[in-house]
Amino acid sequence: MRKSRNRKQANISFNKTGYYFIFPALITMFVLIIYPLLYGVYISFFDTNLVNKWDFVGILNFKSILTDLNFYKIILLTLKFSILVVGGHFLIGFILAHALNRNIRGMAIFRSILLLPWLFPEAVIALIFKWIFNPLYGLLNHVLMTVGLTSEPISWLGSKEYAFMMLVFVCIWKGYPMVMTMILAGLQNIDKTLYEAARVDGVSKWQEFLYITLPSLKSVLTVTLVLDTVWWFKHYTMAWVLTNGGPGQETSLISIDIYKTAFEFFDFGKAAAMSVVVFVVCLAISKLYRRLLRDE
Amino acid sequence: MNKKKVKSGKLERKGNTGAVIIMLFFCVIVLLPILWMISTSIKIDSEMVAAVPRWIPETPSLVAYQRFFKDYPFLMQLKNTVIYTLCSTILIVICACFAGYGVTRFEFRGKNAFMSFLLVTQMFPSVMLLVPFYNVIKSLGLLNTYIGMILVYISISVAFATWMMMGFFKSIPLELDEAAIIDGCSRFQTFLKVIMPLTLPGIASVAIFSFITGWNEYMFTSILTTQANMQTITIGITSLNGERVMWNDMMAASVISSIPLVIVFMFLQKYFVSGMTSGAVKG
Repeated sequence: MRKSRNRKQANISFNKTGYYFIFPALITMFVLIIYPLLYGVYISFFDTNLVNKWDFVGILNFKSILTDLNFYKIILLTLKFSILVVGGHFLIGFILAHALNRNIRGMAIFRSILLLPWLFPEAVIALIFKWIFNPLYGLLNHVLMTVGLTSEPISWLGSKEYAFMMLVFVCIWKGYPMVMTMILAGLQNIDKTLYEAARVDGVSKWQEFLYITLPSLKSVLTVTLVLDTVWWFKHYTMAWVLTNGGPGQETSLISIDIYKTAFEFFDFGKAAAMSVVVFVVCLAISKLYRRLLRDE
Repeated sequence: MNKKKVKSGKLERKGNTGAVIIMLFFCVIVLLPILWMISTSIKIDSEMVAAVPRWIPETPSLVAYQRFFKDYPFLMQLKNTVIYTLCSTILIVICACFAGYGVTRFEFRGKNAFMSFLLVTQMFPSVMLLVPFYNVIKSLGLLNTYIGMILVYISISVAFATWMMMGFFKSIPLELDEAAIIDGCSRFQTFLKVIMPLTLPGIASVAIFSFITGWNEYMFTSILTTQANMQTITIGITSLNGERVMWNDMMAASVISSIPLVIVFMFLQKYFVSGMTSGAVKG
């Protein structure tokens, strides 16, 4: 480690050149990410509609959010949603990555098909499922009624019982290929001789998984877990297209709530304050993961 | 050696049947909705509301596809999508390449802060950018313009793309830089002529990632474009999502809007899968 660092420094005689290289990315991020973010934090201290009302209110927005029970309810709902979706991604991702990590003829075809959900735009996927779940002419109700599992059509996205789980299902369907790909690559990086040695020692499959596979995948899993969780925690598109957050507030994820606060109620200050809180939650989640999965 | 191979082959084969069954099961779950979309897209209006839906339509027809070109602004919106996505992808890849090279080849102050910032950006809810963006773009007079939208698309994936790119540059040994410099290349020439060609697989995967993300974009575009002729195809399709839905038209548009992505991916799949992961595994 040390050696390579020394070499690096020897190799690099002019320090400023590094800045030239990161300059394009840095300036882009400054203008397009950092500045808008700071602006967002700034707005969160105002009661504003962005046009003719700019009243400085200090931390009042935060106060009103953090004392609002409904906000906690929505955060909890979003957490439940992300845990279910990410859990689904990892369960399916693990199963399929294990299955794909073999030498079977035609494996490339399986892999291509299993990656397909990644390629379709979220809005399109939401519409396809909305059509399948359609209470009157949808495929799902027709199949269930033909088989006899239900006697009358179910309004999948319009009923409090089903809407949330349906949304979770669609989000798992859309998002598992990324996790699967990551795990598969991790599996292919594991030294095969480890397994051979374990087999000689008479280790069971489950122990193999627990003591060889999981530890070897740790670094891939940590990154994937953090990204997948925060990405889905902030998810917006499919929930919006499928249910608009309804029925009632059953599928009102935090991003949808922020969106409505800003662009339906034009309370931009409060929306920005809510975003800041979400950022803190996401940061806390990633810190928590890193602590739990840290290498000793 | 040979014996060993046969033995381990046998062991592997034992689990293969199970693996194939599992994969077949999931392939069916993946393919059913996609096939249903295609099936719906070639149905005529009256069959949409048939009491018994059929997989193969009674009278297959391309009428929905004809209407795609005639009755809706979809073609225009498809063009917009291509412009936004392609331009932003090119610019993102350029930024990511330079930054990836700079971060892996040089020591400078703020480097670690820069690198961790790339990941921290993933924690910000994009809705949070939406409010400021709306105001910034509006005050610059860039609402409903190509430049404004391309900027927005860049902001969506530039940070993650840069982070992915770093993984690739890290995997290329520094000795190559040294050799090139000894041979009389300048830093920039080394970057452009020696190192860049070696990271082509990485560039391909970063490009596909940005392309998919851009093509997927929905929220920003729905707020920041208010004119139909500046919107993207996904916005156009979802705007049909109302009380009385023409499902066949909608599915035909969905098919057309998904085809470019599938084609791009099928050609570059090899790079993408290896690339997506080598950035993450090593990063």
